[in-house]
Amino acid sequence: MIRSDVVVIGGGFAGLIAALASAKRGKSVTLLTYGEGTLTLNSGVIDVLGFDENHNAVENPLAAIENLPADHPYKKIGTKALEESIDFFTAVARKNHIPYHGSLDRQMMVPTAVGTLKPTCFAPHSLSGSEVFPGKKRIVIVGIKGLKDFYGDIMVENLKKSLGEDKSYEVLEVETGLTGGRDITTQDVARWMDTDEGTSSFSKQLLKAESLQNGNTTDVLFVVPQVLGTKGHACYQTISSRVGTDVVETTCLPPSVNGMRLQALLIDSLRELGVDIVENTKVVGAEKDGTQATAVIAQTASNQKRYYAKKFILATGGFYSGGITMRDFEQPKEMIFDLPVYFVKGEENWSNKELFSNKPQGFAKTGILTDETLRPVDESGKRVLDNVYVVGRNLGGYDFCFEHSGNGVALASAYKAAMM
Amino acid sequence: MSDKTMIDEEERAIYSGDHCLSCTSCMANCPVMAAAKDYRGPKLVAPAHGRMHFSEDDTELSLDFCSNCKSCDRACPSGVAVSTLNMLQRAEYYKKHPHPQRDDMLAHAEKMAKLVNALPLGTTFANLGMKIGRSLGMFDSMGIAGEREMPAYASNTFAQEFRKIKQPSSDKKVVFFPGCSINYNEPHIGVAFVKVMNANGYEVILDEAFNCCGSPLVVTGYLDEAHEHAENNVERILYWKRQGIPVVATCTSCSLMLRKEYEELFGEEAMKEAGENVYDAFEFLEMLDAEGKFNTKLAPVNEKFLYHVPCHLKAAGIGTPVVSIFRHLPGAKVELADAGCCGMSGNYGFKKDKYEISMKIGEKLFSRIKAAHADDVICECPTCRMQIQHGTQAEPCHPIEILAKAYQ
Repeated sequence: MIRSDVVVIGGGFAGLIAALASAKRGKSVTLLTYGEGTLTLNSGVIDVLGFDENHNAVENPLAAIENLPADHPYKKIGTKALEESIDFFTAVARKNHIPYHGSLDRQMMVPTAVGTLKPTCFAPHSLSGSEVFPGKKRIVIVGIKGLKDFYGDIMVENLKKSLGEDKSYEVLEVETGLTGGRDITTQDVARWMDTDEGTSSFSKQLLKAESLQNGNTTDVLFVVPQVLGTKGHACYQTISSRVGTDVVETTCLPPSVNGMRLQALLIDSLRELGVDIVENTKVVGAEKDGTQATAVIAQTASNQKRYYAKKFILATGGFYSGGITMRDFEQPKEMIFDLPVYFVKGEENWSNKELFSNKPQGFAKTGILTDETLRPVDESGKRVLDNVYVVGRNLGGYDFCFEHSGNGVALASAYKAAMM
Repeated sequence: MSDKTMIDEEERAIYSGDHCLSCTSCMANCPVMAAAKDYRGPKLVAPAHGRMHFSEDDTELSLDFCSNCKSCDRACPSGVAVSTLNMLQRAEYYKKHPHPQRDDMLAHAEKMAKLVNALPLGTTFANLGMKIGRSLGMFDSMGIAGEREMPAYASNTFAQEFRKIKQPSSDKKVVFFPGCSINYNEPHIGVAFVKVMNANGYEVILDEAFNCCGSPLVVTGYLDEAHEHAENNVERILYWKRQGIPVVATCTSCSLMLRKEYEELFGEEAMKEAGENVYDAFEFLEMLDAEGKFNTKLAPVNEKFLYHVPCHLKAAGIGTPVVSIFRHLPGAKVELADAGCCGMSGNYGFKKDKYEISMKIGEKLFSRIKAAHADDVICECPTCRMQIQHGTQAEPCHPIEILAKAYQ
């Protein structure tokens, strides 16, 4: 039989971290994935807690965790594991050439693709907006000809509100030579930037910015879409040094280049440690013996294959990725171990029609509740399985989108589960 | 085939476009999009057009760029059969439009091989003819990439070689599906497979009623012909299934076609049932290993292997059984190339107008191989191996050959 110390199910941020932290402890790990995971779709910055239950901006995430309701995943994870997970992650990222800035006791503000600022805790240097805003007087917004979903004028309007009217704003459009076919994406431009021709042409065009022609070069800040290379931060360093001042990337619509940089980094690290990664296999069930899971059953192209392990880490996500489904109202199901799923009862509490209001969505809190070891519990708080750990968006009791805590919960829970 | 029961609509690949959330994961992972800026990408072509369920008479022309490598299928978190939707739409397109001249040749390798083998000294003359034809630019003028060498015919087919093998008889049997490449071009791989199975106590059956799996037909839009192949092959697979004898292939594109793509393309229940009886060779060995029945009396090989995992093996969702089996090989070290699609994708790289894209996709793998200094490059897929040889001068082999050598 195929046996490992740990089987991790799910290839999103939580799954990759759980597999990596387990492998670093010397465990034999099998990672089962279905689909590309979340990192293609998120910016790869680590939001820990941006807003509280009443949608007030959180200034000190570490302190604010104390006041969260008892069922919130952070309450089970604890701040110690959160801090350790951040150390773990930033060390891995640094070693693999994507150093992250940040701190758990304050927010960093990163610019979005429409020029608003978004709170996060840790971001790679290339995205660390508020680290480089101080002292900047002239802002150059760099658009790319033919790039979808990046509009310089809207950015100027919003950046004026967030950075101040006292600064000068210039929009510069870079020509890449990639136009003429389909609409181009940030990924296309980032691949062009991987070439010497791309970095050289890009920096030459930035050097033509009017804002650079008078005054101190270091007063200028270039705001660019996520296009500074597909791997590591070498391209970001090259461009910054060639233009002689700071350059900052924005978050963007998917596919997210920085998310993919992070994904590549994590997968390379897993390979280095000999983790078996099985792609395109949907886990559809489990074998149990009392309160122990003995194997998971995974679908191949035409058969089923069993993966045995001492320990299982569940990182299959929530409604979006099919880790939890709800075919019948108020009958949510976890698809592999058939774990009890928490949800907000009552149709009237299920959703909030005001999509962008200051109230969370009831349905978003659907998920599995755990004890402090991250093992699943039932409604009465009794543990249901002894060797299954639940991480990331599988967890119930929080609305990651509303409170901006997605990657923070994913990272900290995955790390803690791996350490148990 | 008598039983034409269709799979439930909800489960059928042709309707899977409705599950698309437009998340762009497929675009982010499409090797053709990375190499060709005119391809609008899997999301826009497959699920977006597929949602019309082929009722509208409009075609997205950039569909022609899809190589059916299935990177999109693997990337999709929602179970959309992206590449299959592309292939279905391609077939629709060619119902109303003429094929380029070269398609006929690229799709019908089996037919040609049969003709050539029917003539005395046919393979010798055909190989000579292909060499002359290539140097005179004949392939090029037909729309086939003149830079490439056509795979040479072996002097004996695998079927002929197979008859010479004296196998120890056994109650444990498998049916071998060699596929066109092994049968007509590289029979020694089939011979190696028989040796490995014999060493593990299995007798190998060759069922000459099998056709080409149909993969070259599907990707060039000859879907009706592919359907005929599917019906024949499915009937044979079910015949063996009823006797409890699995069908095993060494080509990962053949096995994916038999086990999954028939079902996706044609939606018949019998195809799904047949798929359950099809295995990849190393998957089968891994299953023996899981039961403690894999023969580990293997001679040391003391080599470092660089392993290019074919896209179609990744799509099969069985992981990398070669890696786990090679762990039993004393002195063998396997490193994954992990450099994405090779760019060849069956007959895609043979198309003159796709040659450049194909080579651009392969660049990452080529430089990985050149930098790796491995003793051997291993890969199950015959067209990946052709591409590797063309792009690097390395001479890759099938991992089953290494294993056969170790059973002394």
